[in-house]
Amino acid sequence: MKSILLIENPILRRELFSRLRSPKTTLAILCVAILSTLLVLLRWPTDAAIDLASQGSIQVFRPVAFALAVAVMMLIPAFPAVALVSERRKGTLALLLNSPTTPWQIYLGKFSGNVLLAAIIFSVCLPALAACYAMGGISLIDHVGPLLLVLFGMALQYTAVGLWVSVIVNSTDASLRWTYASVLALAVFSIGPTIFVGKLSGIQSLVSHWITAISPITALQDITGSQAQAGEIGITASWLDFMIASVAITAVLAFMTLRKLDPKLLERARPTGKVVGRSKTDNSSSLLRRISYLVDPNRTKGNIPWWLNPVMVKEFRTRKFGRLHWLIRLVAVSGICSLLLTVVAATGTVSWGVERIAPTMVLLQVALLLFLGPCLGANLIASEVESGGWELLRASPVSPIRVLTGKLMSTIWTLLLMLLATLPGYLVMGYIQPALGGQVGNVLISLLIAILMVTTMSACISAFCRTTAIATATSYALLLTLFAGTLLIWVARDKPFGPLLVERALLLNPAASALAEMKTPGFEQYRLTPDSWYVGLGISCFCLVILALRIWRMTRPK
Amino acid sequence: MNEHVVEIKSLSKRYGDFVALDSLSIHVDRGQILGFIGPNGAGKTTTIKILVGLSRPTSGTASIAGVDCGENASRIKRLVGYMPDKFGSYDNMRVHEYLDFFGAIFGMNRRDRRKRIGEVMELTETTYMQDKFVESLSHGMQQRVGIARTMLHDPEVLILDEPANGLDPKARIDMRQLLLRLSGEGKTLIVTSHILPELARICDTVAIVSGGKMRAFGPLDEVMRNLCPMRSYEVQLANPDQLDQADAILRKRLQSSEPVTVSRMERVLRFPTVRSEAELAQVLSGLISEGILVSQFREVTSDLEDAFLSISGGSPQVSSADNSSPVAVSAT
Repeated sequence: MKSILLIENPILRRELFSRLRSPKTTLAILCVAILSTLLVLLRWPTDAAIDLASQGSIQVFRPVAFALAVAVMMLIPAFPAVALVSERRKGTLALLLNSPTTPWQIYLGKFSGNVLLAAIIFSVCLPALAACYAMGGISLIDHVGPLLLVLFGMALQYTAVGLWVSVIVNSTDASLRWTYASVLALAVFSIGPTIFVGKLSGIQSLVSHWITAISPITALQDITGSQAQAGEIGITASWLDFMIASVAITAVLAFMTLRKLDPKLLERARPTGKVVGRSKTDNSSSLLRRISYLVDPNRTKGNIPWWLNPVMVKEFRTRKFGRLHWLIRLVAVSGICSLLLTVVAATGTVSWGVERIAPTMVLLQVALLLFLGPCLGANLIASEVESGGWELLRASPVSPIRVLTGKLMSTIWTLLLMLLATLPGYLVMGYIQPALGGQVGNVLISLLIAILMVTTMSACISAFCRTTAIATATSYALLLTLFAGTLLIWVARDKPFGPLLVERALLLNPAASALAEMKTPGFEQYRLTPDSWYVGLGISCFCLVILALRIWRMTRPK
Repeated sequence: MNEHVVEIKSLSKRYGDFVALDSLSIHVDRGQILGFIGPNGAGKTTTIKILVGLSRPTSGTASIAGVDCGENASRIKRLVGYMPDKFGSYDNMRVHEYLDFFGAIFGMNRRDRRKRIGEVMELTETTYMQDKFVESLSHGMQQRVGIARTMLHDPEVLILDEPANGLDPKARIDMRQLLLRLSGEGKTLIVTSHILPELARICDTVAIVSGGKMRAFGPLDEVMRNLCPMRSYEVQLANPDQLDQADAILRKRLQSSEPVTVSRMERVLRFPTVRSEAELAQVLSGLISEGILVSQFREVTSDLEDAFLSISGGSPQVSSADNSSPVAVSAT
């Protein structure tokens, strides 16, 4: 019975109080409060005309609702994502599981602690919502109440996702990475199939409807009255559907997490490593692996050749996705996706022309870049310092320049390979519309600059952080703010932001310049290249100089 | 005359007002093993970091094979093999790849590296684990790999910070043998450890630091003699009923400055003394002449732990060393 009473749960009290004591939580709460207030102030009507259709209040309410949802997506998963994995690594999970506290109590404590924290974050945006309500045209039952419920549903869903990922992975940075990738998939990519396939009928329609319902975007569109636009492309889910989907996902993930939250979890053996190629008996299985992976993942690696930077080789070898078989998979998936997109456009499978496919490809590339780039960059220095490897590098005669170039190139090559893999897609596009040749070139330059920015910024952050988890979270937050934040300013381009401010904000975002080059609807009027390239290169150079100075400082005798 | 491979002269290091090292002087000869001991925060790691070129002294000098550690850090890094107390493992990396990486950053060419990796793995008995992931190894195995990594570029001096930490008894014996073998091959070793009996078994010289100051330095037996001048003796009786009588005789002959303790369970009387062998022989003959049946009369050897405790303040014995001021025990 005690496990049901939350107040009796020691885990909950510890989780909640330790988080509330953290300056990071205070900063997060302050940011949400300032953001919601600022959005209301910026969108507040200044003309004297009477708004009989109540469109003015909706115009104020909509950005607040979407901004709060973005804030929930960025803030809420961070804590549960590291909650269990960090306890396991510190050894405190073993103490908890060996105490009379049941796994159910541990889970409930961590889960409810995060949801209560979310409730505190929501409470600071109540004045902004009250201001929207005071304008008239916004009702508690149709707008404010459902919005708070949707935000609560998001908090439930993302907390459950974070805890589930946290229980199955082995490191805090991997947990953060996979949690945010899962949140992105649940929130954004879940509406992808419906957009691509369009309106369906029968059982397919039902499946598509519930997949779409997982995303809070459809629920927010329903609440903020943008359902008509969504309906055009077959999205019909309401906010109630989202709540049902959220509760279902939460329950399933809670069950899966509780099954894993067992003392046996601590018995997990580390892979000791299996190598082939040293004996002749390995040949048959090796052939099978070579067919499956193209490159045998278990094959013994040779000595590092003289013409390669050993720091770069080490970086590739120590990350899971740096191993050749994984790189081949990544490049293959990128290439196939881009080709598929182009082929379906060319064969008329969907009613999209090149002008719609190109921006989609750009956005997918930037999404992949933003998913992989920050975690690769944030790992460069912080993980080395955390593992004690940095001390060994310092004790070796390797120069700071070699460390810097080796580490940066390991990230740049990976991201570059991914970019190159999409070239066939662009080539096909150029074949369909030969006039696009120059634009494609400009898009690729913009993406190249995006790679440089993502790499140097996240590496720079990494050099100032002591733990990989903090470096990863900070890199994601900063780069998402830069890439998504400038697009948010673009969303509010008519009001309150003027065209000049929007253009200047978009200059910071190489993805926006790529979209502008492809004449994406809404971006046609902006001339962002080559100025955005100079800005991007300037930011990259600045970060590079800071990073070089930092590495030089970190390698010299203290 | 012996060649000083490692030479530290009046080394001081300050962090603002905090004095981490205060005029430390040490020298180690080729092929010697120096046991560098002291309580936590005594300044051991600071000294080591200066020696390996990771930190600069505020004043004084430190040199290895004649090369100044502060001025020529890059040359020092080739002369020294440093094993910090934290292993520094990398994920998804096999032992062979791990050693190959460190060989490469020390600028060894591919062929030499391949040969040398084989040699150090053989020496440290790690060949069988070359395909295992580094992070999956036990602590003892990782320490062995750490030593292999340290020796990869064939340094003149090996500096090992707590190499026996967390090792099981078997691994500890293996480690001890390995260090002795390296010393036999002419390598100079500086080893820090909190497991003092282990250190006492391998080191030729000891340096005891506390509060950033050198408390004792010199050959092990000399340090012991100077820090523990009072020898401990044990008298075991055949007849336990004679314990009180023997106690009275000893007290009478030894006087109050040398307290006698009685362990009835063991039938043993113990006393510390500064008396000569001849005087002690008289004490023994006195006991026998009074009809006491003595089964054993022996000296209990003081160990490094006693010497360390006498300096760090938890002394089981009365030491002639003054804890508040540095004691130069010996300088060979």
